[in-house]
Formats: sequence, C-alpha cells, structure tokens
Amino acid sequence: MTPDEHHVDPQVLARARARVLGAPSQPAADPVPPGLTAASDGDRVWLLPAWPDGATPALLEEYDTAPMPLDRAGQARRVLAAALRCCWTRPDDAPWPSGDAQVTDVLEVYAGMSRGDADLARRWATGELRRLADTGWLLVDETAGTVRTGPRTALWHEDTLASLRDLLRRLPAPPASRPEAAAP
Amino acid sequence: MPDDAPSLDDALVGEAVLGVYRQMFAALARDSGAVVDDPELVDVAETLLAAFADAGEDGLSREQMRYVCRRYPTETFENRLRVLKGLGAVREVFPKPNQLRYRASFTSVVGLMFVRRMMLDGGQSEMHRLLALEQLNVADPRMTPAQARDGADGLARAFRLWSVELLTLTNGTIEELREQAPKLWGTEEIMQRAERLHGAILRRWPQLDRTCTDLRAAIYAYGDASRRAAARLSDSAGTTRNLTLLPPETWRTFARTASRDELAAVLDAFVFDAPAPWHEPSAIVTAVEDGPKATPPRPAPPRPATPDPGLSADTGGDAAATERLREVAEQVLRGRDRVAVEDVLDQDWTTARRVLADLTSAHAHPELPYRLTWSDGMAARPQGSPTWVSPGVFERTAP
Repeated sequence: MTPDEHHVDPQVLARARARVLGAPSQPAADPVPPGLTAASDGDRVWLLPAWPDGATPALLEEYDTAPMPLDRAGQARRVLAAALRCCWTRPDDAPWPSGDAQVTDVLEVYAGMSRGDADLARRWATGELRRLADTGWLLVDETAGTVRTGPRTALWHEDTLASLRDLLRRLPAPPASRPEAAAP
Repeated sequence: MPDDAPSLDDALVGEAVLGVYRQMFAALARDSGAVVDDPELVDVAETLLAAFADAGEDGLSREQMRYVCRRYPTETFENRLRVLKGLGAVREVFPKPNQLRYRASFTSVVGLMFVRRMMLDGGQSEMHRLLALEQLNVADPRMTPAQARDGADGLARAFRLWSVELLTLTNGTIEELREQAPKLWGTEEIMQRAERLHGAILRRWPQLDRTCTDLRAAIYAYGDASRRAAARLSDSAGTTRNLTLLPPETWRTFARTASRDELAAVLDAFVFDAPAPWHEPSAIVTAVEDGPKATPPRPAPPRPATPDPGLSADTGGDAAATERLREVAEQVLRGRDRVAVEDVLDQDWTTARRVLADLTSAHAHPELPYRLTWSDGMAARPQGSPTWVSPGVFERTAP
C-alpha cells in the first residue's frame, strides 16, 4: 500500500469494482463511472461494459478468437430462450426492461422444449437460471419465484434480434397464457 | 519451398563451421566419432603440436613426427595421427597425393589450451574471461546490436545452465555438493561483473531490453542458486526470484497452508473481470434449433389413408392354398403325367400368366408332387401370345 493508493480516483475504483462484480446495480441517481454503459429500469441502474465502435463479443468469432469458455452453452442458451419466451411478452419492443414472469412457467416451457425426463429438465434449468442470473442475463427473484430479463440483454443490437423474435414466436407458450389453463 | 532448400553457399558455410569445430576438439578426439578415454592420448596430440610449433614453416615429415613421439607405442601414434589428420588438426602442406610434409592447425592448439584451462578450474575463470571480453566488446565502437544480443544471449544461457547445475547439486547428496560446489559457486565478483556488463549493454542499446531482461533474470537465478547451494536448505526461499528453486511440493504446501491474506497478497493490485459469457441472439436461435426436440425426429411409419379394416376373415390357411394348387395342377395335367408348358399357356395372357404362377407355386411347394422343368432354347412367336416361350414341361413326380 503506497500512500498514493489512498487517493485513487473514486470513479476509477468504481469502474474496477464494476468489472470485478460483473454487472452490479446501483441507485439510478449515482454517477456512472467512465468507460461503462448503464442499463436502467427506472429505479436502479446496472453498470455494463462498453465496447468500442458498437462491437459485441460476437466479433471474436470473426477473428477466430475463442470466446469465454462456457460449460453446456447450448443448454444455457435454450434456458435463456425459454425465459425470454416468458418474460419478453411484447417481442416488438426491446427485451430490456421486461415484466416479471413466473419461474415455474419458464421451467415448464423448457421442459416442453426438451426431450426426456421433465423433472430432470426442470432441475437442469433451475441451475442454468441461477448461472444466467449470476452473469446478468436474467434477474431472478428466488423468494418471489419470478424472473425477468437481465441488463445484459440491453447490449443486444436491435438489428440482430429479428431471428430471435421469430424463434420466440415458434416456441410453445407458457401455461399461464394458454386459454384453457388461464386464471388459476 | 525454394527458400528452405539449402543452397551451395549454406553448405559451404556449414562445412567451414564444422571444420573449425573439428580442429578445436581434434586433440580430444579418440576417433573421428568420440572423445578420448585416456589422458595420454591428449598428451600425444600436445607433443605433436609443440613439435610443429618448433619446426617452423617447413612443417614435419612423417618420420620426424614419429621421432618426436618416440615415447609412445607405434600403434597409439598411428592412431592419433590418423584421427588428427581426419579432423584437420594436422594436414598436408599442399593438398595433393603422396605429400610428405605436414603442418598443424593453429585452431587446434588454441582449443587445446582452452581445454586444459577448463580442466583446471571448471569454467569459472573462463566465465570471468568471457565477461571481461564482452565488456571490452561492448565498449568497442564497431560492435553492432546484433552482436551484442548474441553475446548477451550466450551469457544468459551459460548462467542458466550454471544455476541448473548448482541446483542439481543442491538437491543431491551433501558429499557431492561439497566436492563440486567450490568450482561452481559464483563469487560476488562474477555477479557484479555480469551486472556491470548488463548495464553497459542496456545503456548503449536500449532496444535490447528484452534480451537484457533475460540476462538479468539468468544472473539473478544464478545468484539465488549459488546462495542456495551455500545455504543448502534455506526455508526463507519464498523471497527467491527463481521459482524452480523450490520443489513443486513446497509451493503446494504454501498454497494449502497460507492464510487468505497471504494468498491474496500474491495477486494484489490485479483486477479480474467477472465471468461474462456472451449469448448472441443468433447463437440462442442455433442452440434451440440444434437442441434435442420434444417430438422424436424419426417419422412415423406410413399408414394407408383409409381406415384399417382389421384382419380379413380369410386367413389363408396353409391347407386351403395347397388344395387349390393341387386342383389347378390336376386340371392342367388332366390325368396325364406330363404336359408341355407352351400348350398350357396357349390362351390369352391374362389367364395364362395366372396359370403359370400357380404352376410355379406348385413346383416350389415342398409337399406337392409336381415339377416344372425348363429346357434351353426360345421360340419367338411374333403373332402369338405370349410372343416368346421357352420349351418346358410340367410333370408329376413320384410322391
């Protein structure tokens, strides 16, 4: 600890903190450190990385660079798709911010998408939901049993969303919105 | 491809370098492929080279060489001469056949001097000399950065190997260490000399900083190794700059037993990004489409469009079919034992082909005593029906 370290610019510290924590949230009134973008849902604001020239990590693929390794990427993305099917109820709008959806609905949609033991699929999906929540792709409230899209979905470019919207229209609807299972 | 192929020039350069190597170590060579195993053989070479030095520009004849080496057996002398000639330490004054006078190579003498010195003090004083020489070279205005880099690389390599040797000794038996270490231990003087040289190179050619970093690391590693060899087992090695000084087990123990703060201090002032996998929308679409589907991908077997009427009442028992075939056969034979097939088929084809099928079935039926035999040949009947027929016989066999 040199004496200088006690006088580090608080903005720089805040930026380092945001990088260490992933996508932390703070009250919307607090200043956003330089070098980060913010995704706000009204009350709170989430600090997200900012990339130059509007690029996203998908650019890595064009340069044959390995992206961050991810276990069971396919499963995580299918669970994310199931969650989006439930949360992103107005697909013509942006995915962020979304309304709340029931976690049980997401699990049902995922179980309907996959083959095999539905209980097992629900358990896998619960784990993936937690991981997606840890990395800021979803916001899961475990006590209330609700889920909504995470701040990272705000980083998607509008022009890359067309195929995703098509896909979500084709996915089976969550049980709550089916006419015969309505209003429990 | 053409760039990789060695040119004639390359081959010449390689041959010249090899030639110097061979001459340098000719004195140590037992034969052209191995080093001497008896110190006396080196003495023969030294005696010979001394005699050549005295002989002057005329060189020595073979008889004179033998006379100089009269102390040694003839066989040894002949052997040495052959090897020295083969390696170029002793060669003809003029390269032509039946040459009687020989001269010796200057390089071999220098090589031998060098070898003798190395035997005495095990490379340490040689290192002193090399460092002093390099120091002179660095001060030389004609020195180029490439030469300086080569020199620094060589020194770094020497220091590395030196510290590895010390390290091996340190981890070996204490007797071996006691015996060998005095030759190898670096003195403070060598360290200072090397660091002075390193500073001189870096000041004169700042662009060689990478090479100098290597050299510096090697010097430090050597310093640590020699200190460690002196202390043999120092538990305070956590401050060392040479990570290989401690066995991996020690590092593992440190990782297990250190407190959280001690561990954290290792990576103090580093910022690690939280894991942030990226899910591109197109990747999500691909994942869903490639994922296992709820409906099995195998299509159901085809079904007729009309509803299935279920099993027919006529189950076609075996006995009924056999009886029908027997009836047809008897109808065709009409009491005879054999009948020509072309006679039977002499009706309209729609009927004839049914009869033919029944006859074939009767022939193939294992329980029915009928046989259908075809013979070679074919009769074309453009106006008939069928339009061609092969002669055949349908006959009754013995039951």
